[in-house]
Amino acid sequence: MSAPEHGELRVPLKNIRRMLEGLMPPSMTTVSPDGMPHVNHVSHAEYVDENHVALTWQFQNASRANILATRRACLSFDDPTSGTGFVMQIEYLRTETEGPLFERLRAKLAGIASHSGMVGVFHLRGADVYRVLELRRVPGRLEMPSLAPRCDVAAGARRVSEALARCDEAAAMLDTLMDGLARELLIEHSMLWMLETDRSVLSLVASHGYAVHRIGAELQVGVGLVGTAVREGVPIRIGHMSLSMVYGRAARGVIDELGLAQAVSAEIPLPGLPAPRSQLAVPLRARSRIVGALFVESLHDQFFSYDDEDALTLLAGQLGALLGGLHADDAPLRPAVPTAPAAPASQAAGAPVLRLRLHAKDNSVFVDNEYLIRGVAGAILWKLAREHAQSGRVEFSNRELRAAADELRLPEVDDNLEVRLVLLQRRLAERGGPLQIEKTGRGRFRFVVGRRLELV
Amino acid sequence: MARLTDDMLDFLASGVAHQVGACTADGRPLICRALAADALDDGRLRVLISGVQGFELLEAIRINGRVALCLVAPGDYRAVHLKGRDAQTSAADGPRERALVAERLRVFAAQLTPFGFPAGYAQALYAVPEGALTAITFTPEGAWSQTPGPGAGHALALKP
Repeated sequence: MSAPEHGELRVPLKNIRRMLEGLMPPSMTTVSPDGMPHVNHVSHAEYVDENHVALTWQFQNASRANILATRRACLSFDDPTSGTGFVMQIEYLRTETEGPLFERLRAKLAGIASHSGMVGVFHLRGADVYRVLELRRVPGRLEMPSLAPRCDVAAGARRVSEALARCDEAAAMLDTLMDGLARELLIEHSMLWMLETDRSVLSLVASHGYAVHRIGAELQVGVGLVGTAVREGVPIRIGHMSLSMVYGRAARGVIDELGLAQAVSAEIPLPGLPAPRSQLAVPLRARSRIVGALFVESLHDQFFSYDDEDALTLLAGQLGALLGGLHADDAPLRPAVPTAPAAPASQAAGAPVLRLRLHAKDNSVFVDNEYLIRGVAGAILWKLAREHAQSGRVEFSNRELRAAADELRLPEVDDNLEVRLVLLQRRLAERGGPLQIEKTGRGRFRFVVGRRLELV
Repeated sequence: MARLTDDMLDFLASGVAHQVGACTADGRPLICRALAADALDDGRLRVLISGVQGFELLEAIRINGRVALCLVAPGDYRAVHLKGRDAQTSAADGPRERALVAERLRVFAAQLTPFGFPAGYAQALYAVPEGALTAITFTPEGAWSQTPGPGAGHALALKP
């Protein structure tokens, strides 16, 4: 039987793109200039467009030398649900060392590396771009039926988007998005992380589907799937978590044997599910800046597809724009009237004093020596507490806080105020205790202080 | 004649995935999943594949005898790469070969179980029509580690 003509594409590339990152890293044969075959595995292959794929160039090795010399390779990969096999003939075109494709590949690789403690070792030198000459199904496999899609992702995302468009407050937007993901897209576990640029830290402001919310938890930019997606500005999706991890850990074993362990950081456990099988992180943008990330995960393998990545990118874009536009129609700014409300019963003489302490370096606030919150939310809390201690005020508006951004010395407060207030309110609610924030109207809230404050 | 070490022989039987590589005279690279590998008494390595899946690869090996075999353990991605230049192909669909493939399938499927693949997944990869089981036999002229990372490509010693 003769080989098919080069240039033949028997299967559309988009039909199999989900398999390029599936079951096991694809296998590849290259050929040396003297005609000797060489087989190795690649971490994953990236769909570029209908005629091109990209592979990561990480290490200088025999297959890389073969590719530069003969420019030809073939890739073998399998459908992780049906067992259908495919073989792709590819021709090396060029190596990209910057730009969107490079960043996307670097982010995916960094996501895997971060999870397996391989930061700094899985270093992407370049994105090798290949033309797909031929894509054929492996004949003679006993194929199983493919799994049906879990839902109509596009129709579900449309309903979430419509519900989101009806929201006019930050808290409602966050809840509508996460409830909608669960109801319409069957995504049960989600988190929203917001960025504080000056500290390069992400704070958890909302979550759905977890026994413990851990609002206010922090994550360094560049760490984990979420931190990497934010740093690189691209969505990162990992299916078959455990196999990706095994791949990373295999390399780590080699590093340890080679005595390069000092280059490897300790493994950082992700907040969330103890044993996730699929994860997806999508950056949140507002006015072309990255302001946070939407993160979803599942206990099921291969749960998130390219369609989910597309849908969540659209919804995250909508949420970012909505949050960015919130302050345009705040409640009008009224002069602060130093009302002297009646002290709650718990503030009566004899109740113990509540001591608040501020660490100005990072605006972290401690309540009776126990850490509460830091960053923008910490600065807001400190301002509320100070105003209350000075004048007894309990009624505040979002707008006056925004006007005080200079006083707070927080350049970002204008973009993030509503979300920071939601974060602060939920952190206080989750912690319980005498300090709470209650919404009293559009752009207005009450600072509930159950005990006499002492600011130190 | 170089032979596989005892450690490599144990590895062959541990439930590894096999990929065989070859190339045509005009430099077209080829790849096919293999189903089992074992060492013959004379030290040569025998790899069993489906002649239906690997028809093009078998044809290339018949012409130039060049072959590469990569063995990967799904549980930890330890990988070993073997190469030969004297490969021959032959029909090998007898009861002993079928029994070997069934045993290799059993241990390979057990390796996949912890990762949540659907039941019957490994069987789908291992399907071979009656009469199609084919052997590729070659002398290993070198072995290399292919475990991912900067150590990939290190030569592994064979038994003299």
